[in-house]
Amino acid sequence: MSQVLLIEPDKPLAKTYQAALRKAGHKVKLASTSQGAINKADAQTPEVIVLELQLVGHSGIEFLYEFRSYPEWQDVPVLIHTGVPYIELKDSWDLLSDHLGVSDYTYKPDTSLDKLINSVRQLTRSK
Amino acid sequence: MDKLDDADYTASSYLLMVNLAEQLKLPFMQIQKQAELLSRVKVKDLSSIENSASYALQLIDNYLLGLKLNQQKLALEQEPVSVAAVLYDSGQLLSSLAKEYGVKLELNITGKYEPVMAHRQGLESAIVSLGSSLIEAISAQDKSKYTLQLATHRCRYGIVAGVYADNPELTANLLRQGRRLIGRARQPLVNLTYSAGAGIFVADSILNAMSLSLKASRHHRLYGLGAVMRGSSQLQLV
Repeated sequence: MSQVLLIEPDKPLAKTYQAALRKAGHKVKLASTSQGAINKADAQTPEVIVLELQLVGHSGIEFLYEFRSYPEWQDVPVLIHTGVPYIELKDSWDLLSDHLGVSDYTYKPDTSLDKLINSVRQLTRSK
Repeated sequence: MDKLDDADYTASSYLLMVNLAEQLKLPFMQIQKQAELLSRVKVKDLSSIENSASYALQLIDNYLLGLKLNQQKLALEQEPVSVAAVLYDSGQLLSSLAKEYGVKLELNITGKYEPVMAHRQGLESAIVSLGSSLIEAISAQDKSKYTLQLATHRCRYGIVAGVYADNPELTANLLRQGRRLIGRARQPLVNLTYSAGAGIFVADSILNAMSLSLKASRHHRLYGLGAVMRGSSQLQLV
């Protein structure tokens, strides 16, 4: 059973993802903002982070800059699960993967819950 | 000059449509994921799906109303309207969405105000659009309790009907910046909401068609957005 930190600002979506990931055997903590996520990670280091980039105030990318600035969180795998299509992230992908340690990207409308669960599973195995 | 006005209008309609399309992805994603979850977990309560679908339909309806009013394809028949009644009815329409997002909806319509001249359906659609956007926005804050208030009060320009929350980000500056970025940025109101905030721009468009304007407003200690309308003592029903 792995500890997942799900950073998702939309309540109905967050509840749905949480239920699906729990059913797949993960422990899931929810955060809706960048600061909330840092606080949750501080209380217990997650094994995987699932991150929406569109947050209120500080964006998901700003969260990643702060999160990666702590040495103890350098190796935590991050899956970007977002409503932002890849074409709009293409230019930033090198920064996200090489500099900010993003392991994978999934586009919400195209990603079934099964696929999301598989992506999380692969990241917990790869650790 | 007319051509220029037409071009401005077309550009703003296009940008509003882009913003709306972006916003609509959210309830459809909710439906998509909730349906998938329900297919594997036996759940009798399908209200989440129903609420997401209603939210999407309401947004489309309100957008279309604004579009038709702006293009004068619907008669803009103004009538004496009780703001308290409009807020009450809007609250009823927003209650399921508020529940879905864990937001407590309050109605503050105390005080006796004369009716205002407005297009009733337009005013109600604007309030519902604003309310749905703010429900979504405030539920993403790091708080243990979320409350949204539909309220009316008198100001020196007339009677205000608005939607209020304990969120100091709801300012005139935020609205100004949002209007500049609508349809061009994914999050034109990034300090307020994670979504496209389309409800706010739909309300803006409806109020604009009624020759009213959406303004940042305060109600007691709360921050919000609302419309100011002129009351008429001659229309007082008592």
